[in-house]
Amino acid sequence: MKCVLVATEGAEILFHWTDEEFEESLRLKFGQSENEAEELPALEDQLSTLLAPVIISSMTMLEKLSDTYTCFSTENSNYLYVLHLFGECLFIAINGDHTENEGDLRRKLCVLKYLFEVHFGLVTMDGQLIRKELRPPDLGQRAQVWAHFQSLLWTYSHLREKEQSFAVEAVERLIHPQLCELCIETLERHVVEAINSNPSRGGEEALHAFLLVHSKLLAFYSSHSASSLRPGDLLALILLVQDLHPSENTVEEDGDAQPSPHRRPQSSQNIPVQQPWSPHTSGPIKNSSSGTDTDSFSFPEEYFTPAPSPGEQSSGSTIWLEVAPSEVPQVAEDTLQVLAPHSSVPSSPRRIFLDASVKDNYCPLVPHTMYCLPLWPGISMVLLTKSPSTPLALVLYQLLDGFSLLEKKLKECQEAGSALRSLPLVGDLRQRMDKFVKNRGGQEIQSTWLEFKTKAFSRTEPGSAWELLQVCGKLKRQLCAIYRLSFLSTAPSRGGPHLPQVLQDQAQRLMRERLLDWKDFLLVKSRRNITMVSYLEDFPGLVHFIYVDRTTGQMVAPSLSNNEKTSSELGKGPLAAFVKAKVWSLIRLARRYLQKGCTTLLSHDGDFCCSYFLWFENDMGYKLQMIEVPVLSDDSVPIGVLGGDYYRKLLRYYSKSHPAEAVRCYELLALHLSVIPTDLLVKQASQLARRLSEASRLPLP
Amino acid sequence: MAASTSPGTKSASWWSYFFLYDGSKVKEEGDPTRAGICYFYPSQTVLDCQELLCGQIAGVVRCVSDISGSSPTLIRLRKLKFAVKVEEDYLWVLGCAVELPDISCKQFLDQLIGFFNFYNGPVSLAYKNHSQEELSLQWDTFIEQVLKNTSDLHKIFNSLWNLDQTKVEPLLLLKAALILQTCQRSPHILAGCILYKGLIVSTQLAPSLTAKILLHRPAPLDQRLPAAGDAPRDPGAAFPLNVQITPVFLTEEEAASLHEFPVEQMPRPARLQDGTVQHLAKDWSTSALKKDAARQVASEAQMSAATLDPMSPDRVWPNGKGENGHLPGHEMEDWGPTGLHTTAKGQVPGLSCPLHKEPGFPQEETDLSEIHIPEAQEVGGSSGHYTFLQMYAPGGRGLYHEHPVSDASNLEPMPSEDMATSCSLSASLDVLTQNGAQEQHEDLPGTSNHSLVPGTDPLPTQTSWPLSPHPDPEQKGSKLLGGHQGVDQQVDGVRESLAATGLQCISDSADSQGDNPSTDRADPRLTPVGGPMRLVQMNLYTHSVKGLMLSLLAEAPLLRDSSAIEEVYHSSLASLNGLEVHLKETLPRDQAGPSASTYSFVHHDHIQNVLTANLPPVASAQDRHFLQAISLMHSDFAQQPTLYEMTVRNASTAVYACCSPAQETYFQPLMSDTRSSGFPNPQDGAFSLAGKAKQKLLKHGVNLL
Repeated sequence: MKCVLVATEGAEILFHWTDEEFEESLRLKFGQSENEAEELPALEDQLSTLLAPVIISSMTMLEKLSDTYTCFSTENSNYLYVLHLFGECLFIAINGDHTENEGDLRRKLCVLKYLFEVHFGLVTMDGQLIRKELRPPDLGQRAQVWAHFQSLLWTYSHLREKEQSFAVEAVERLIHPQLCELCIETLERHVVEAINSNPSRGGEEALHAFLLVHSKLLAFYSSHSASSLRPGDLLALILLVQDLHPSENTVEEDGDAQPSPHRRPQSSQNIPVQQPWSPHTSGPIKNSSSGTDTDSFSFPEEYFTPAPSPGEQSSGSTIWLEVAPSEVPQVAEDTLQVLAPHSSVPSSPRRIFLDASVKDNYCPLVPHTMYCLPLWPGISMVLLTKSPSTPLALVLYQLLDGFSLLEKKLKECQEAGSALRSLPLVGDLRQRMDKFVKNRGGQEIQSTWLEFKTKAFSRTEPGSAWELLQVCGKLKRQLCAIYRLSFLSTAPSRGGPHLPQVLQDQAQRLMRERLLDWKDFLLVKSRRNITMVSYLEDFPGLVHFIYVDRTTGQMVAPSLSNNEKTSSELGKGPLAAFVKAKVWSLIRLARRYLQKGCTTLLSHDGDFCCSYFLWFENDMGYKLQMIEVPVLSDDSVPIGVLGGDYYRKLLRYYSKSHPAEAVRCYELLALHLSVIPTDLLVKQASQLARRLSEASRLPLP
Repeated sequence: MAASTSPGTKSASWWSYFFLYDGSKVKEEGDPTRAGICYFYPSQTVLDCQELLCGQIAGVVRCVSDISGSSPTLIRLRKLKFAVKVEEDYLWVLGCAVELPDISCKQFLDQLIGFFNFYNGPVSLAYKNHSQEELSLQWDTFIEQVLKNTSDLHKIFNSLWNLDQTKVEPLLLLKAALILQTCQRSPHILAGCILYKGLIVSTQLAPSLTAKILLHRPAPLDQRLPAAGDAPRDPGAAFPLNVQITPVFLTEEEAASLHEFPVEQMPRPARLQDGTVQHLAKDWSTSALKKDAARQVASEAQMSAATLDPMSPDRVWPNGKGENGHLPGHEMEDWGPTGLHTTAKGQVPGLSCPLHKEPGFPQEETDLSEIHIPEAQEVGGSSGHYTFLQMYAPGGRGLYHEHPVSDASNLEPMPSEDMATSCSLSASLDVLTQNGAQEQHEDLPGTSNHSLVPGTDPLPTQTSWPLSPHPDPEQKGSKLLGGHQGVDQQVDGVRESLAATGLQCISDSADSQGDNPSTDRADPRLTPVGGPMRLVQMNLYTHSVKGLMLSLLAEAPLLRDSSAIEEVYHSSLASLNGLEVHLKETLPRDQAGPSASTYSFVHHDHIQNVLTANLPPVASAQDRHFLQAISLMHSDFAQQPTLYEMTVRNASTAVYACCSPAQETYFQPLMSDTRSSGFPNPQDGAFSLAGKAKQKLLKHGVNLL
């Protein structure tokens, strides 16, 4: 009984996801329809009908009380509703089967929001534009977009329940130093460097390349020019790869069979946003009408301006920007038709947005292109490239950020005029914006910017704060539109520039050759990465542990797989499932207490004793003094790294009091038998942490 | 949950709104929302805001019910949380600060609804019979009462306000208990409690019932008899001074719990008279009683601890003294029933509690032991008794308490054998049969007296009560069904008239009780007839003597039985006066305040729902950490039954907590260690808190061993 819903203030459904039980309950509620065909499209409307009162009420409360709903629960928490407002969109998660608690549901909403960001970048900042991305007027397209995110949510839920790495939200490495070294060398020499030295790559530059065995990281290489990849982003990439190539339990036995695509519709394999004529649309493609369709919704009349040729743009995107709107579909379609065979294979490049530093400036949601190159079922190579237009992303981000801050100030102090001009922020923003408009602004943004300047800086008749807010909003929307045009409309899946297939094939082939002998070993190793057996002798009474280095976002834990085919060390059946359930509940418990400021936890629960420790070290391994960690409210973003990265904030918070040293953060979760005396248990935890930290301190090749 | 134990406006910060909304009045498009608002707190809220909250919450509740099939019990906002209860068309909503744990918020709402129902009957009926203003006044009073006395800890546990029993002469607690028992022997009287200045001194009632009586205020009588409708207490005209009789409405469960050990008290003394302990034991092993007992034990073992309604004056006494070894009861013929139940302190819960509830096992052992001990010593012989005690409480240092009982002379001498008897009975039958004390019961005085309490007027003699287990076969209560309306109900109405007006009368004879000791229902013949809440009408007899208040729940006929009223009154008057004087003398002595302690602790007794703690009235930063940790762990203990021990720590403080079905204990050392890193370190003091808590809390009577 699960449901996830994204709606606008006006209760328009932007996205929904329901499991079968929930759909069934809706069907019962709305009466058995005699016609199944009529039933299906109505799901969205059913949800909208049912939940509209809640959505509208939560907006009313926000308006009148400046407070809004965050959670409903019925008797015994039989049903749990979690509501979270992101910008202008209300996200709702419902659970009616006790399998998820409030934190889980809120986490799910945050992950969904984050997935939207990964796919649409800063376009998510604008309510109207994101609405168009998430709810294209074309039904077939809408179905595709939704199917894609539904599939991602399924994958996420599945991974969170099955994989410890997703339960604690840290990357799990496959522990095999030699092999890792071999792979990194190959990734460096034969993948990244080979691509970057190849003239046919166009403007694309390979930044990162990594190998995944199921959801575990085997090797990771970043080029020298690349900024580091955030652990949360890496985890999101693993999620995307798992969604493309799900590692079913049967994968090992299936030999070379392609992962079954039955779980998700074909169409979800690229990003079918925004273009009604996507090759995967199951419905008939109407060229004649779709052209105008596209025109009318993707380039909203009031702010679309064909951009003049920007100097530093690559030719590819320049052409794109110069074509008249009405021609866009044709051009793109041509490209797409060429690409069609490619995009039907899962490796089709995909536009994603990840945090990076551009020219030494931190910039969130920088456009990248992801190539997922499957080697064998369960083993994939992932390549991330950036396009030459990256600096534009930085400029747009800075401007959008500036205007957002300005909006906030305007809302706070109702008086504009001189007070506004004196803000240092405004001067800086003005300078940047002038430069931007001069270089690449279209007519529309030019005139809007002029309007803003008149209102904000005129000494004779300064505009009111309200007026300024309006223009500010308009400017932001136009900036977002440019962002969308530059990065989404030119997405590789829509025929935007990307690496030639030859280069991709070459890298894929080479990697396959290198790993051929290791393939079977790797698949087994990924299931038995670390075994508890090797710890039992030194740590009697220890049942399980998870050790996380939050600075690198990596975790170490004995394998706990308890699927049908492969039994874990605990065997299969109830005991293994019980221990697993205990571990998961320990993770939840630890998170809830950390949210409330507790960094150490020891709890006796039935026959088990659960312990949790969080601590800080400097680079030398010296244990630093604990600080009071912030106490967060129940409706804050739950602790994790996907989306809002709690630990990054925590490290930043801690660093304030230790500006001189590099601070590292670690967590240890341990499950002991409760017969173990507490002092022994703590001693073991301490020894375990030391041993694991020594292991991880070994230089990673 | 800031540091506000101070009464008044400040404490209201966590209590934002409370309202009762009648959805049936707002059905049509054009109906204004305000028409449905029956009561809104705080009343000075702008009407628009009232309408907004009522309308929006009602809408959301309906919407969620549509989807989930059940209405939400909790609605959380960013800064507020609302506990919600839906009863037919009525919607009760309590808005609290988000810091208050979810469970507490729900409990407060239940408590408020409970108060209202208790004094006014079902809400639909109450609003039919009374003006909104009149009832709003009552709501105001309830809320004011709750807010006035609710400290940070009470907020978390929703516990009762009790006298700090460590600071009261135990003998006084005993005295209070005995007053209650004495009153119970009067006709119609079921059980009761004694309060002193709004704090519990002694209670025989379940915590939920005691809570309701705690809020009783001796308001003007004409206001306090609302349910009486047009016929306000003609018989009451003759009430003695300071006595009020108020009609009250109990839920079925509460009524059933009062009738759980009804008049079966009588047969036992009779048996004792002609028998020995062996006889008694045989009785137990052979007669129906045994069956009964076994069944009851079994059934009660399943009962949640919270449904037990024990009262243990000794709960805070250290184990080592042996007082809590469940010694001695008192005369068997003293109506064990409804008697005072002790907590299961130091015992296996679930075993001892049910036993205590057995008829014939009066439990104020501690206090009674004090009283009886001199006699026991006089009697001298009680070797069997002695051995038994040692057997039962091997760790104890014996029950012979040093406190001389000053007014022992007033006490009817009590044979030590009795103590042994009750003792063994309360322990277990096995023990009893092995007990050497058995023979000593041969010479058990058959008719021991009832004037245990000094100054008590003679009670009705036992002979006035037939040996039959049903001394009071007449109708014991009338059942008011929630759904019924339009009852112009007379408090003293006879059965027929009640029935005629739609009130179902129950005659809950002891028979049915005896036959169904395990059922919660008072009477199996009661089949549910619609209505979500079924209430049983009773009378609340209150007698206040300055700060002291005796409250007794009685069956409906009490009101017209002026001789019974007189009897209760006279049987308790003198002892109440005496108790009041003693309490007044002893209590201020303890105002010195807690001496600086090196630790804080909170001990919550689940069974009695009372707290023992040493927190200062104004919370420091460290106390706030403590409170926050408590509210977190309290929620976890409530949700995860397998969880029994926890230690949590942040940078500045560590808190240890443990939990059993009978209690929850929290302990925080106040000496701040030098700040550690969070790295696991066996030397870390936080991990030795369990032992420290066990050791330190012993002297507060909290036994965690």
